[in-house]
Amino acid sequence: MEQNPVTANGSPDLAVELGPLRLKNPVMSASGTFGYGEEYSNFVDLRRLGAVVVKGISLEPRAGNPPPRIVETPGGMMNAIGLENVGVEQFLSLKLPYLRELSVPVIVNIFGNTVDEYGRLAARLDGTPGIAAIEINVSCPNVKKGGMVFGTDPAMTGAVVRAVRAKTSLPVITKLTPNVTSISEVAKAAEGAGSDIISCINTLAAMAVDIFSRRPRLANVFGGLSGPAVKPVALRCVYEVTRAVKCPVIGLGGITSATDALEFLLVGASAVQVGTANFTNPAVTVEIVEGIKRFMEVEGIGDIKSYIGSLDTSCLFPFAEDSCSLIESEMS
Amino acid sequence: MDKIIEEARIVEQERILGQIFRLRLHSPKIAGAARPGQFVMMRVREGTDPLLRRPFSFSRIYAEKGDFEILYRVVGKGTRLMSGLLPGASASLVGPLGNGFELPAAGSAPLAFIAGGIGIAPLLELIERVMARQKGAEDLRLFYGARTAEELLPEDFVRMPGLRVHFSTDDGSFGYKGRITRMFEDVMAEGAFRPSGIYSCGPLAMQYNVAKWALANDTLAQLSLESLMACGIGACLGCALPASTPEDPGAERFVHVCKDGPIFSAGSIKWNKILSQQTVPPTWPSN
Repeated sequence: MEQNPVTANGSPDLAVELGPLRLKNPVMSASGTFGYGEEYSNFVDLRRLGAVVVKGISLEPRAGNPPPRIVETPGGMMNAIGLENVGVEQFLSLKLPYLRELSVPVIVNIFGNTVDEYGRLAARLDGTPGIAAIEINVSCPNVKKGGMVFGTDPAMTGAVVRAVRAKTSLPVITKLTPNVTSISEVAKAAEGAGSDIISCINTLAAMAVDIFSRRPRLANVFGGLSGPAVKPVALRCVYEVTRAVKCPVIGLGGITSATDALEFLLVGASAVQVGTANFTNPAVTVEIVEGIKRFMEVEGIGDIKSYIGSLDTSCLFPFAEDSCSLIESEMS
Repeated sequence: MDKIIEEARIVEQERILGQIFRLRLHSPKIAGAARPGQFVMMRVREGTDPLLRRPFSFSRIYAEKGDFEILYRVVGKGTRLMSGLLPGASASLVGPLGNGFELPAAGSAPLAFIAGGIGIAPLLELIERVMARQKGAEDLRLFYGARTAEELLPEDFVRMPGLRVHFSTDDGSFGYKGRITRMFEDVMAEGAFRPSGIYSCGPLAMQYNVAKWALANDTLAQLSLESLMACGIGACLGCALPASTPEDPGAERFVHVCKDGPIFSAGSIKWNKILSQQTVPPTWPSN
């Protein structure tokens, strides 16, 4: 494989391009695990991140689900927070200014109960200084269609993306749920409707119960599974989606280290998001940036873009010569 | 208030009795900033199981030595691993977290401290601080109960000059037989002691009874509440409790134990909206 030489000043180039979105490195926080950024300011220099993806925002403030909302499972955790958030107006007036001051690219994750709500959110955010992109969360139920989750249906996903696309000139990212038969089909629908970028995966639908009280562990009964346990599923989804669409893909799901992040880049993600790992190690995002840089230095990779999607899935038979000669000898 | 990630060194590990342990850690930055009622998120080892940190309140703070102690009961995998830590080993901490107790005005009126089980932990440091600034004449009482005598710290652990201790066990194996809050109500009914303030820590069912009494008797109570939590720093929003909203009683709002608490006033929680799942002691199913 061709190796790009390390750049002139000896420092590897971590910058990535995701269509219209340019980031100084491929590492960002995942929505819902990083608050509005400020929560982590004691632990990381937020300016060192490729971008900060903030907690999902709705038109109106939401109280969220009754507790218990979280539960730990082997190698992971489940949550049913219920999209508790301050609402778009308070986000813009109270939360965004802090991040804007730092000039870190801010990606605003949005969700609505109807297609129209998504469109109104996009319109409200459009033209606001300090916002780098919009990430559409299609993993919430459509109240008008009997609670069916938007992201589980390609047509409904397309409708949401179109509504957002029509109301903003910002780069649009669509965050896909893995709880579908074919994530590629949903990805294609999102791309076709004008999504500039796809991010995947959101949490896996899951459940935990208590054998003594005979009750679900979560008040909501179901929750979303995240953490290292979901990483292999996420990698497979990213692999499939990168081969189904032409637009860039952001990979996430169980990333806790630079190695994990590089795996996603290797299979084809142009950038990654780090979620649950922030809870265990609040400094993990910047540690991953540093880890990727070290890997590139050691491996002599000058430009991270050359590593993205460089996975080799061709079949090699290292002992083929021997087997050939064996066959030849049998034939003679 | 800055939150810190610090690699702590284990100074002492002692099994006090049964499944209850005392762990002393050298963690100068966190110990220097810690206040009674606050907590740390602790991780004993790298890896994915257990995945999340566990919250522990400060049971003693020795700021000048750079040390603090926690008291814990082994209930599952995380705490079992913790009980195997030997002096010299290290553990990763994030802290100090949460609001902490508001100390009473110096030399003020009678105070009641109510502890259920391992809930004694944050009250030990609090009582120490309160005693240090009192004049000695005040009526300070600790109501300390557990399920059984085997889960009650030895008397010398909680006895301090000038502090009157009332013990109870649910099974009557030591002290008053019955719930700690029942004993507290009995003592109140006698009329000789009337606290101007209550500090309490223990299971949610106990805290509910403390809150109910405090509200009915117009007494200020500071409750140290617990919850499962993933981050401890207000990001995951997992440690929610239903909040009372006096201005709009029908409104649904949640407070978060890690950043709005863990110390709450009796009236700030909407007790009738707490689900029974929440009253299960916070242990993890993978334990």
